[in-house]
Amino acid sequence: MNLAEAIRLRDPSRLPSRRDENWRWTDLRSLVRTLPEASPVLDSGRLGSGPFEGICVTVVTLANGVGPGAIEVSAGETRTLALRNVSRGEGSHAAHLRITVAAGARLTLLESHEGDGGGLSLLSLEVDLAAGASCERLVIADGGVDAISLVDADIRLGAGAEWGQTLLTNGARRQRLETRVLNPGDGASVRLDGVYVLSGRSHADLTSSVTHSGPQGQTVQLARGVVDDQARAVFQGRITVETGADGTDARMAHNALILSDRAEVDARPELEIYADDVACAHGATVGALDAELLFYMRQRGLPEAEARSLLLASFLGEVIDRIQCAAAAGRMRGWLQGRIGGSVE
Amino acid sequence: MTAVKDTVEQVAGLEKYEHGFVTDIEQEFAPRGLNRDTVAFISAKKGEPDWMLAWRLEAFERWSAMESPDWARVSFPPIDYQDATYYAAPRTGGGPLSLDEVDPELLKTYEKLGIPLREQEVLAGVVGAPRYAVDAVFDSVSVVTTFKKELAEVGVIFCSMSEAVREHPELVRKYLGTVVPVTDNFFACLNSAVFSDGSFVYVPPGVRCPMELSTYFRINAAGSGQFERTLIIADKGAYVSYLEGCTAPMRDENQLHAAVVELILLEDAEIKYSTVQNWYPGDPETGKGGIYNFVTKRADCRGDRSRVSWTQVETGSAITWKYPSCVLRGRESVGEFYSIAITNGRQQADTGTKMIHLGEGTRSRIISKGISAGRSSNTYRGLVSAHPKAKGARNFTQCDSLLIGKACAAHTVPYIEARNGACTFEHEATTTRLSEDQLFYVQQRGLSEEEAVQLLVNGFVREVLQELPMEFAVEAQKLVAISLEGSVG
Repeated sequence: MNLAEAIRLRDPSRLPSRRDENWRWTDLRSLVRTLPEASPVLDSGRLGSGPFEGICVTVVTLANGVGPGAIEVSAGETRTLALRNVSRGEGSHAAHLRITVAAGARLTLLESHEGDGGGLSLLSLEVDLAAGASCERLVIADGGVDAISLVDADIRLGAGAEWGQTLLTNGARRQRLETRVLNPGDGASVRLDGVYVLSGRSHADLTSSVTHSGPQGQTVQLARGVVDDQARAVFQGRITVETGADGTDARMAHNALILSDRAEVDARPELEIYADDVACAHGATVGALDAELLFYMRQRGLPEAEARSLLLASFLGEVIDRIQCAAAAGRMRGWLQGRIGGSVE
Repeated sequence: MTAVKDTVEQVAGLEKYEHGFVTDIEQEFAPRGLNRDTVAFISAKKGEPDWMLAWRLEAFERWSAMESPDWARVSFPPIDYQDATYYAAPRTGGGPLSLDEVDPELLKTYEKLGIPLREQEVLAGVVGAPRYAVDAVFDSVSVVTTFKKELAEVGVIFCSMSEAVREHPELVRKYLGTVVPVTDNFFACLNSAVFSDGSFVYVPPGVRCPMELSTYFRINAAGSGQFERTLIIADKGAYVSYLEGCTAPMRDENQLHAAVVELILLEDAEIKYSTVQNWYPGDPETGKGGIYNFVTKRADCRGDRSRVSWTQVETGSAITWKYPSCVLRGRESVGEFYSIAITNGRQQADTGTKMIHLGEGTRSRIISKGISAGRSSNTYRGLVSAHPKAKGARNFTQCDSLLIGKACAAHTVPYIEARNGACTFEHEATTTRLSEDQLFYVQQRGLSEEEAVQLLVNGFVREVLQELPMEFAVEAQKLVAISLEGSVG
């Protein structure tokens, strides 16, 4: 399955469909009958400001797929970088960006997906972290309700490297945020978190796969979300522990709240284990807001709407609490707040 | 503690696969290969009415156009469906016989398997001991069904499928293929075309079946497959507990077992279905031989407040591909699935369940314990889904995997689909190896390493063993011990 190729050749038959097990809940082929024309070039000077404006000095922009192809962070350097992926109009485009973080370097990547049209966009990221390097990737995916938006990241870690990730999304017409991580062990650690807040007819798909190829690696994952109206959320997480990757510690949790009778949540948390000295676990829950909690809060004089947003804020806020970069965490809280009302503390 | 002691003794005294013998018995076979004539041959052998033959032939046509599924995490060379026999029967005439007419060799086989066919022997046991009505299926035919008279007195029909087609065609026509449609999947479709025998149970309204019903399946003939079909109907307010056991001889070839089991529950009915599957698993070193167990089992809770429970202990088979499912249609119906799947040697298992919540207030529970040892692979695959109308649906799933050894694999692949805002699904899964601390502690108390493993494994699977009827639980516990033999050190 090569999405970039499908877009380049404008061949919808190359898009994944529900018959592909990994895409069964995010069917692109039935949605996209003909691939739109290539997107026009945007004037990068007129893109306004992104959600992380002001936090960092360096801003890299991909405008309708046009922008730099590689970013390098040299050894020992500490950098905060904003990456704006802006899509406008009804066309289709694909971009590829390679990021290398040299030994011992630290990168905070503040990524935003912005847009307004009904086009189809793909961003493929390739990130290499050398030994002892670290990167925190914080993403706000807010590309508009009409867009078809695909973000695909391949992460390769060196020994002892550290990867932290938090995705925030309010979905799109169809959206898939996929992350694949290769964890070689040897003290390397991975955090893959995500939050979705969906309403209307939005769709969001958080798919991840972490492969532990060597001993003593760690992975933690917490995904939480809320779906309302006729929205649909998909969570697919796979943790693979290969032969010899003993001492792996991997934990995954996915918790979803369904707020309406017509919303849908589909989840598939997978474990694939080929080594015996491991501790792996996953948990997944789907349910409604606790009526008793709501009742209790209303009894104490809180209006229902406020009680609901308070409950949602505390439920989703736990994911935000795990973010290291305080300034970005503040922006992300603010963004969430705008979607659920109340304050996310 | 007696059970533990029992297990330890059992382990010491047993061979690796005790049911690996072959019974030398005069048999008759269908010609090798699969075509319309084979299907007609089977139907004629069973003296079936025309409608049954037409049903089979239609299934065969549909099957011919289908492809073998490849999504399960199992691998095997393509099966040559033309190089097998689809009917093998002891040569003593068709249909069920009275016990006295049964070939003594066959009775000896069942004796070796420890199956109490002779009612008097069962009756001669301790007063108040539980009694079992048994339907024994040898290759393609049911050889004997016990306690039929006593069951008939309360209105329960318990007979072989072939007999049911002849004696109770109205019930068979009404229900057969309504839970697992002919084209449900490749193997179910094959079964619909060539199914040979199996059990038929009908429990009338309000009747609580007075004894446990059980079936023992045995594949004996070489180069043959077994395609049994079981249909159990629990009418309004009825209750039945059904047990199923299976064994096969040790052979170098792979043999196919593609069964279909359909359970139908009307209002307030309850079925408890327990399986102890001990087909020959193949050679642990080379992986040669063993049964391919490709089975479709499904329960349809049509009535409100009906309740079905699947309990399975899967220790045998080279490959297991099996997902006993519950369609929870009736309001407040309940589905349960308790499973122990053990793989050792080069076995592969891909097993789990589906809980399909369609009705309001439906509830389900899944407890799955997978144990992998040797060079085996063990996958839990399950689906829990709630449809928009299934308000108040609840599910709790717990899947635990235990790994013994460096070369085995354990996978968990649960699918969760929630389509309304008033359902509550909880799923948790863990994968670990046996705790060294616990092993050390137990060995320190004087148990050998192997005994210590048995003891801890028994603790690991206890939640599921408790769901089995007493007699079966003891048998299952022994099986767990035997299956893991040689997995330590």
